Amino acid sequence: MATIDLADVSVTDANRLLLSYGEAGEDVDVVNPDARHHIGVGLTHPITLRVHGSAGYFCAGLTDGPRVEVDGNVGWGLADNMYQGSVVVRGNAGAIAGVAIRGADVVVHGNLGSRAGQVMKAGTLCCAGNANFMAGYMMYGGRLVICGDSGQQVGQDMTGGTIYVGGSIESLGTDAMEEDLPAEEAEDVLAFLDRYEIPFSGRLQKIVNAGKNLRYPRTEPRVRVIPFFVGSERTEYWNSKVQEDIAVKAQIGRYRIRGYGAGRPLPHLNDIAFKRDLTSVPADSDVVSRVDLRTSLGGRFGAKPIELSMPVTIAPMSYGALSKSTKIALAKASALSDISDGTGEGGLIPEVRAAAKRVVVQCLGGRLGWNVHVMRQADGVEIYISQGAKPGLGGQLMAKKVTEDIARLRGIPAGIDLRSPSRHPDVLGADDLVIKVEEFREATGWEKPISIKLGAGRVRDDIKIAYKDGFDYVGLDGLQGSTGAASNEVLEFVGIPTLSAIMEALDALAEIGATGMPVMLMGGIKDGIDAAKAIALGAHGVSVGTSAIIAGGCIACLQCAVGQCVVGIATQDPEYEQRYDIDVESWNIHRYLESLRWQLASIVHTHGYASVYELSRDDLVALTPEAADITRLPYAPEYAANTLAKVAAAS
Amino acid sequence: MCGIAGVLYKENGHDRGIGQALITMLDGCQHRGPDSTGFALYHEARADDELRLRFLVAEGDEGNETIADIKARLAEFDAQVTEEERIGNTVRFTVKFDGDLQGLAYAMEHVAKVVSIGQSLDIVKDVGGAHDVDDTYHVAGFAGTHGIGHVRLATESDVTPDRSHPFWATGFADVAIVHNGQITNYWKMRRRLEKRGMEFHTDNDSELIAVYLADKLANGSTLEEALRSSIDDMDGTFSFLVSTKEEIGYAKDRLAAKPMVMYEDDDLVAIASEEVSLNKLFPGQALQTIEPPPGTFRTWRRSI
Repeated sequence: MATIDLADVSVTDANRLLLSYGEAGEDVDVVNPDARHHIGVGLTHPITLRVHGSAGYFCAGLTDGPRVEVDGNVGWGLADNMYQGSVVVRGNAGAIAGVAIRGADVVVHGNLGSRAGQVMKAGTLCCAGNANFMAGYMMYGGRLVICGDSGQQVGQDMTGGTIYVGGSIESLGTDAMEEDLPAEEAEDVLAFLDRYEIPFSGRLQKIVNAGKNLRYPRTEPRVRVIPFFVGSERTEYWNSKVQEDIAVKAQIGRYRIRGYGAGRPLPHLNDIAFKRDLTSVPADSDVVSRVDLRTSLGGRFGAKPIELSMPVTIAPMSYGALSKSTKIALAKASALSDISDGTGEGGLIPEVRAAAKRVVVQCLGGRLGWNVHVMRQADGVEIYISQGAKPGLGGQLMAKKVTEDIARLRGIPAGIDLRSPSRHPDVLGADDLVIKVEEFREATGWEKPISIKLGAGRVRDDIKIAYKDGFDYVGLDGLQGSTGAASNEVLEFVGIPTLSAIMEALDALAEIGATGMPVMLMGGIKDGIDAAKAIALGAHGVSVGTSAIIAGGCIACLQCAVGQCVVGIATQDPEYEQRYDIDVESWNIHRYLESLRWQLASIVHTHGYASVYELSRDDLVALTPEAADITRLPYAPEYAANTLAKVAAAS
Repeated sequence: MCGIAGVLYKENGHDRGIGQALITMLDGCQHRGPDSTGFALYHEARADDELRLRFLVAEGDEGNETIADIKARLAEFDAQVTEEERIGNTVRFTVKFDGDLQGLAYAMEHVAKVVSIGQSLDIVKDVGGAHDVDDTYHVAGFAGTHGIGHVRLATESDVTPDRSHPFWATGFADVAIVHNGQITNYWKMRRRLEKRGMEFHTDNDSELIAVYLADKLANGSTLEEALRSSIDDMDGTFSFLVSTKEEIGYAKDRLAAKPMVMYEDDDLVAIASEEVSLNKLFPGQALQTIEPPPGTFRTWRRSI
């Protein structure tokens, strides 16, 4: 039995010690915890950890296997994402106890704070006392046992699992209902209470998902195209697309859902140009070797940086929206081009880990496919706040895409309409986010870069928060970014354009004198010219999603949400997926990435620079008044002939 | 987006180490807000006609001019200066005054940025951490009866001393608030209060809470009533603390989006964003703490 005194040892050092005690199979007493955060975070050995006093936020978070006992109280996020093992707390727990647990026993002898068991997937969360507001909020599975009273809106938007309440139920949440409790099931819960020595003699009430929400009674019809009158030579106002839109809405009575991003004309990188006449770009097949494109991401706080052969990464896209074959092709292409891949929501599949040289795993609010093991396999960890295509919104993976494999990875029942929450359970503000970042650093031994993905909304404020909250770098996604499914109105009109986003980000960072936090720009980046312009404006690099998908066979039919993608990309149906040839498409994507590299190198070399980071704003002009206003570059439409067409032709 | 802390010693008669207690608590949650730190400190009022006023002033000659203007305006209101201290980026006056306080306060706001006015209250706030602010303003040595404090992580308005917390309820002596969260119907509420003649001096949403509560108190509400109605009237996320000459209180939004933990014994009540701040006051102990439920409020009064 070892002892760690937190009056003398920092929590970071204590967690390192715990890992070595874990290796040795030795149990540990922690004394003088004094409600410090992150005690026991990242512990993956089945040892017993006794905390003599109160613990702070995320006690036993991101763990698998330990038995943790706490004499006093715990703060927010008790046992966050715990797999196997147990936690027993003698006092009270703060908000979101048992958040996203995937199999553990989490027992609190006192009361639970708000939103207990949010997005939990398996295991048992139990309190002897009362639970506060919105217990079981958005839970996907497992059981939540409240021996005392439950507060308002218990079971709010739960999709699976069961809630048992021994006392009074103040109110049921939307889409939750009471159901008869079979005797055998009650016995099972009582046996659990016995095992953890919780006295209970009342009658349990059972609460489950009512299944009333999340059902779309009418699917979107395929519209027969009827020739439409043309009122004048200009057809922006009434035209066949508008007609189709109205006709479909007349059938379904709601917004339309489609894939891809904003399609309407917006100021973009096309609207700025290099001053230098790029027609002088030589047809030099060896230009790539003449300039330095290498870079890295991360390391602001001593983590091991993600090395990149050029300032380009594959944008994060989920296994779920995309087929496994597509994910593997992207991973292979990223390795062939020696850049990094990203997971998006839904976890890291072994095939992607094996194929990619470097992969950044993303943590979203639903914590689907997210756990300490995935974090440790990753080269970087990213907290997703929002995306450019639909900033502020969550998502929904339709039931037919939730296959057994995806369900297993995400820890949820197969075949459910899977809601992804729009926000994190434990990040309700910049102050909470600080603590979340620290938890991730603790779980990864401060070795992995931790980034944030921001959809462009109020960029000026958000990027300052990202800097202060201690992220290594930012993935900034503009309005032109794409998604597998969102409403047309959101895609077109919610968010701000990529060009405005990067300017606001850079201005905001300059305002507070922030340095050393690179911005990776995404949202409508289609080639090396866009990449070069973004970097010249001040981005550290770019990420490509849609263009990589197109390179890999996407035909841009926008029907990603339907689930029957004819080229096997946005589908989980084996019949369609088998049309996708991983080897062929990975090489297509790789060749596209190499064209991007060649364009980038050519532009750098033509400017007479040795490194891509010698590109600057001084090399750019604006071609439209709007772009000049957004970028503060000189308005010089006469440069329009210079760049795009000719470099494109040269490449 | 911030951390808050408050402490009230119940027993009257002698002043306690309020400054040090708040420094300790705020240092414990500085991770929630590294940009600026502030304290609203209360001691026994020395005389009914004695007021303390603190203003933000610039350095050098510009500051000297402001101080001269302040003195001239105080003289117009027959406020007789008995003490003057220039410290950090502020100047503090003690004056003899028994006229219309709101009139004086609004008039002073047009001369310089007022940090606080009160018989018992003194607000100290600046950019930097709890210990930085203490180094400049010597908060640790402050003895008093109760106080509230704040660490700020600026999200929407700038990092400046005047946008730091606590906020004094402009025009109303001895009322201060600290807030964690975001008031989303800020502009609507602000316009409503401005129509009633209330003044705002920053674009920080938390200032609204101070002005709102002061307006209620001025119109005869008890602090409890003002807190109760604030939960109905304010939209958004909030856990806030309020202090008056005799009381401290809290209110928490219905969504319970912002943390708050409290500890009470025979000697004191202490409230903070996180238990780690409370535990800093009582190292080595597992405290019996309570997390207030959503949509609740409570006040504590000094035994007088």
